[in-house]
Amino acid sequence: MPKCTIDGREIEVPAGTTVIRAAEELGIRIPRFCWHPDLPVDGNCRMCQVEVEKMPKLQIACNTQVTEGMVVHTKSEKAKEAQRATLEFLLINHPIDCPVCDQAGECYLQDQYMDHGLYGSKVELEDKVRKRKLVDLGPIMLDAERCVLCSRCIRFEREVTGTNLFEFVNRGDHTQISTFEGRPIDHEYAGNLADVCPVGALLSHDFRFKMRVWFLKEHESVCPGCSTGCNVFVDERDGEVQRLRPRRNADVNRSWMCDPGRALYKEIGVTSRVSGARVRGPSSWEGVTVAAALDRVAAALKQAGSASAFLASPQGTNEDVFAFKALAEAGGAKLDFRVGDPQKRLRERIDRVLQRADRNPNTQGCLDLGVGRDGVDAILAACRSGRIEALVLQGPEILRVPEVVDAVAKVPFVAVMATHEGPELDRATVVLPAALWAEAEGTFTNCDRRVQRLRAAVPPPGDAAPRWELAAGLLLRLGRPLGAATAREVFSLLAKATRGYAGLDYRAVGGTGRPLPPDESASPAQEARA
Amino acid sequence: MAASVVTVDRNLKPGVTPILKGFGVTLKAFFDSLFRRKASTIEFPEKKRSVSSRYRGIHVLTEREDGTPKCVACYMCATVCPAECIYIEAGERPEATIEKYPTRFEIDLLRCVYCGFCVDACPEEAIIMSRENDLVGTSRAELIIDRDRLMARNELVEHGTGYRPADHDVRRPVRIAALERLKAEHGIVPGMPGTRS
Repeated sequence: MPKCTIDGREIEVPAGTTVIRAAEELGIRIPRFCWHPDLPVDGNCRMCQVEVEKMPKLQIACNTQVTEGMVVHTKSEKAKEAQRATLEFLLINHPIDCPVCDQAGECYLQDQYMDHGLYGSKVELEDKVRKRKLVDLGPIMLDAERCVLCSRCIRFEREVTGTNLFEFVNRGDHTQISTFEGRPIDHEYAGNLADVCPVGALLSHDFRFKMRVWFLKEHESVCPGCSTGCNVFVDERDGEVQRLRPRRNADVNRSWMCDPGRALYKEIGVTSRVSGARVRGPSSWEGVTVAAALDRVAAALKQAGSASAFLASPQGTNEDVFAFKALAEAGGAKLDFRVGDPQKRLRERIDRVLQRADRNPNTQGCLDLGVGRDGVDAILAACRSGRIEALVLQGPEILRVPEVVDAVAKVPFVAVMATHEGPELDRATVVLPAALWAEAEGTFTNCDRRVQRLRAAVPPPGDAAPRWELAAGLLLRLGRPLGAATAREVFSLLAKATRGYAGLDYRAVGGTGRPLPPDESASPAQEARA
Repeated sequence: MAASVVTVDRNLKPGVTPILKGFGVTLKAFFDSLFRRKASTIEFPEKKRSVSSRYRGIHVLTEREDGTPKCVACYMCATVCPAECIYIEAGERPEATIEKYPTRFEIDLLRCVYCGFCVDACPEEAIIMSRENDLVGTSRAELIIDRDRLMARNELVEHGTGYRPADHDVRRPVRIAALERLKAEHGIVPGMPGTRS
């Protein structure tokens, strides 16, 4: 373990660590363009030059390994001067069109030229080399003039997706990045190109001109798109989610995120959200308060007793599922979740990067909490034979499954917690408005049994409430209060009651999640697929 | 007409004399305005006082020669605005040399504090101020002034333009305050816009 000194502070790092990583660990930011923590080192931008004592010339921090007794100065006069000179070269042909560039505010070039006071370019606009602008590459817009030729996108295409779409073309001043024949990007990780690009050369088409980034407030969360559970930032302004962006977690998604996941913010602010409770009247729906709807459901559950059934949703958080399970157990009712075999596709990958076949974020959490109990088929059979008098659904997804429709039709009372309006809700007797993943606190357990935290980024629409709150409301009406008033308290109860979760709380889960020991009871077939 | 300053002697003893003196002043003003046309008031709104060429009145969105707004929807004005009275939506204009322009640009004139920061922050001279200051409307909605009305104000000649970048020196305290607010709170410095060949 070599020990080195960076800007007067000592740090001991494993052998082979580069100076830039050691500095990151100390919280010292060395300016960079081409270095990215999850891409191989290229060392082409020369921006990270630092002064190392006893070395005659400046070294690039990204490709210099720490050795015993090394003394590094990142902010010395010599290092600053070299960085400034590098920036001047980069600014020769840069258009400095920050007012119209979406990257402004999160642009390495802008940040660094401001640090060095290089507000204007020394080259007249007319003398700059003109390159291709406004090239539509499908999900990405390319502006080659803004490019600093760091090759991050090229390395991303080579190392992460393996698609090799980008390459440098031409030489010298005229070098620019391009896809082959300007073809569009056709893989599902295009959004990451806009993220890895340190400047405004590659920008997201979806976010184009929508918002200036300095207006956005970020909230740490987890993508609900599949069982991988990528860590994300939910970027929001005034209660409206504007975009999702990957949050680095070396153990889960590194710095990446898929495009289908990125698009999930669009389902949050739509007008088709269920914003109020309603019950089926004699002729049509009647809008009621959530409390009145809960009264109605509680009355039906009391009447049905053990002739009721509960179907949980793997879209719900652990807290939701735990409260739902407590509700089912209060009446001695049947309980399960999801149609089909949940373990089957939980860990199955559908590409080589991140996406998994199970499109639910919390199937593992449902399994851990023991919700898979009576079997969905058995419950549906009971429904068909008319032995079930009340059915409570934690999510409406199940109502879209054809094999479920006829079974549900036989049940006289169906309550469903729903986030979005849809024709399937017409099969219910009571509709309860539920908050979406970005509107509630909670945790998901991903396919690797890693518990990760979600945070409420925006308020839910209208009367919508987290599903655990709805379940807790029903428990209160049944005379069996849950004993928790916040998601944090529900999780503490859950941790006490669930095997493998003992000793966990939100603090222990932290920002990047907490892996649980592998479950011994998991089937060997599941492990083999992984 | 410039207003004159009247000195008042507050040490006068109470009695009839000060009252008569006061009436004297009133009578003098009455005859002055009646026969000598020396009134201190003007016949507003037919006549208006002239104000400084750096007066900060209602905003104007300037336009290019082809009639399109100079604004590139960079949101600098909306960012720096202390009253948060500027609302912008940006759109794409593929055929033009600068691809971004405001599809909506609204200023809530009732919220505006007329500080002129927007003019200072603008990298394009796209927003300037006029000398117009009589703001009248029958509803609040009417005084939220949209892009087209802001641009139509270009034709207002009777008031003349007010505060605009051509008048100000970069060392002027207002401009420095505006730029420092942008830099300190948002970490940005308005640069020059790019054009396409």
